[in-house]
Amino acid sequence: MNFAFTDDQILLRNSVRAALDEQCKPAHVRGTMGDARGFGDALWGEMAKLGWLGLPFPEEYGGAGLGLVELSLILEELGRAAYPGPYFSSVVLGGLGLMLGGSAAQKEKWLPAVASGQSRLSAALVEESLDWDPGATRTAASRSGSGWVLSGVKRFVPWAHVADAVLVPARAPEGVTLFLVDPRAAGVSLSPMVGIDLANRWSEMKLDGVPVSPDAVVGSVGGAGPLLLALLRRAAVGASAEMLGAARRCLDMSVEYAKVREQFGQPIGSFQAIRHRCAEMLLAVENSHAAVYYAAWALNAGAEDAPMAASVCKAYVSEAAREVCGDAIQVHGGIGFTWEYDLHLYFKRAKALEPLFGDAEFHRELIVRSVAA
Amino acid sequence: MDLNYTPEDIAFRKQVRAWLEQNLPREPIRTLDERRAWHRKLYEAGYLGMGWPKEYGGAGARPMEQAIVADEMARAKAPAPTNGLGLGIVGPTIVVHGTDAQKRRYLRKILTAEELWCQLYSEPNAGSDLAALKTRAVDRGDHFAVNGQKIWTSGGPIADWGLLLARTDPAVPKHKGISCFLMNMRQPGVDVRPLKQITGSSEFSEVFMTDARVEKSDQIGKLGEGWAIAQTTLGYERGGRSLARVTSYAAQYQSLLAATRRLQRHGRPLLDDAVVRQKLGRIWAELEVERYSALRVLSQLERGEHPGAGGSVTKLSYSEFEKRFMELAQEILGPYGQLTDGAPPEYRLEIDTAVGDHGTWAYAYLWSRAGTIYAGSSEIQKNVIGERILGLPKETRADRAGAIR
Repeated sequence: MNFAFTDDQILLRNSVRAALDEQCKPAHVRGTMGDARGFGDALWGEMAKLGWLGLPFPEEYGGAGLGLVELSLILEELGRAAYPGPYFSSVVLGGLGLMLGGSAAQKEKWLPAVASGQSRLSAALVEESLDWDPGATRTAASRSGSGWVLSGVKRFVPWAHVADAVLVPARAPEGVTLFLVDPRAAGVSLSPMVGIDLANRWSEMKLDGVPVSPDAVVGSVGGAGPLLLALLRRAAVGASAEMLGAARRCLDMSVEYAKVREQFGQPIGSFQAIRHRCAEMLLAVENSHAAVYYAAWALNAGAEDAPMAASVCKAYVSEAAREVCGDAIQVHGGIGFTWEYDLHLYFKRAKALEPLFGDAEFHRELIVRSVAA
Repeated sequence: MDLNYTPEDIAFRKQVRAWLEQNLPREPIRTLDERRAWHRKLYEAGYLGMGWPKEYGGAGARPMEQAIVADEMARAKAPAPTNGLGLGIVGPTIVVHGTDAQKRRYLRKILTAEELWCQLYSEPNAGSDLAALKTRAVDRGDHFAVNGQKIWTSGGPIADWGLLLARTDPAVPKHKGISCFLMNMRQPGVDVRPLKQITGSSEFSEVFMTDARVEKSDQIGKLGEGWAIAQTTLGYERGGRSLARVTSYAAQYQSLLAATRRLQRHGRPLLDDAVVRQKLGRIWAELEVERYSALRVLSQLERGEHPGAGGSVTKLSYSEFEKRFMELAQEILGPYGQLTDGAPPEYRLEIDTAVGDHGTWAYAYLWSRAGTIYAGSSEIQKNVIGERILGLPKETRADRAGAIR
């Protein structure tokens, strides 16, 4: 039993943090906000060079063969930097999705290209209803010749506008089936959905009779449910890792500010009203750390309680991170409410991820189903 | 990072489980003698004082082995041993700060529960501000004479000895004038009066000392070092029971779930009510997070690291969790949750409370109010976290340099 990171994991975290401190400063994040594409090629190329884009993929597909703990370490750092770009969508949603269900040919085609930074992926896991249960899929897949035709509307598809292929669940006569869809194909239209986190991008993805070939099916026809649930769990834990990073950044900024900001002739951190709030923030962050890395380890190891751990993680961290980041604004007072101060970058990142891949209520229901079974 | 138990740990757990199946008392423990006998049985099996050095009767065991024993005991709903403070606080204090003579005289009898111990720290006017304590120990040549009042003393009426903090020098700043002693509780100058708590039971006592005698040979460390000694020993036991605590919570949660299948609202079982399900899901998530955090602390102890102020994070987390858990239990159980007598079996709680027949949700609910106060209130824990972990400035204090008279 060892909950501590290995030396290699610590080295990885330190190098990721150093690279992001250098290349993903708040000014960089802000610089991408007005840009239609929303992320920088230089940093993307650096991520490829440093091996982050293929980190969890097997070495035979150009990856580093590392696991979900290491991936979570990267995601935590990305959250800490409010990184703007398609890392999560490409590596976690697309990459892990193909690792879980893709054929050898699909993995051969996409994983090395994702690892090298040439291609980007995403996944369209939710529709108008916001029900993350794969069974709620309404987008239709009907047979056409040897292939398929897809019709429906996906919402909140992350970074679809810069993706080369999107994993799209659709309802075939046999059941929910997962397809790889080119977002630039005829019949697909993307329109931006602009949220409060301007360093994150969502699209609405309309599929209007989009023809797809038979080799675009990921996994078995009608059998995508378990695959999508497995992917949802990984995405939930990955998003939690990013929220954890945002929360830790907010805690750090609050503590530093409370040491130097003076009111009534003394640093506000000397007042219990502030100090106790910071202590509660630390508790929430440390508990979130335990939840994220326990779940990442459990999923990676295929532990019996992995599904439970993933739901516990998302249910807990969704709220903990939102509260910590909100408390940070309160500790800062007025300055924390200004656009020019960086705190809102992390506050908004945590908020943007909170409802994704199942909100706290969604996962609490899964928890009760399991514990009362 | 590897959260698998080692094969050794798995084998050890099996062994403990088998031993408990063989040796668990068949009848509930009622008397102190029965509890002592159970204590001795545990000790003879090697399951008490496990972390103590072998030369003093301990087993030199790893923190994980201690945690596994406590966890298996919680799983089997085994009665607690007696002498918890002797094992958890007094013994380790003597091991670290005691003389050879003190170690030979006291340690083994703590392990065997031949002598039971209490802790004489808090006073009516020295709670969170423990260093303001006023009980005096005055040098009378061949012994110290102790005068004053202590409160919140666990196990006072059954204790043979007490670990005492008393002021030996009222002229110096408050933290510097405190010394640490071992005091015989069985003497005319010591008057123990049970304190009736909101539970109706008396786990705690008040202790009045009137010219109570402490031998010179029973002084621990140097004069004036009492505060520092108390600081180093407060956190000794943290971590050891962390897994067991979660296992007990999980067992209680299962009885609560069983109740939600029987209880109804608007003709439907509570378990089918979406609001109740959400609340149950939230508490289970928090309970699991407590488990993950317990494993994290345990693995830290396994590596030989002392959590230090991190113990405050653990204590704050579980004690506040326990309060939320018990509030939910009350919400679900309604008036059943308040029954101290006459509770139907479906609404009882199987817990050994070490003070007799209090295995009720009502008792557990009331008792949950204690955890955020004893051993440093949540507010004190937050101060410790703020100052020692986050490095926030100390508040301006009027008393730091002042003496206590």
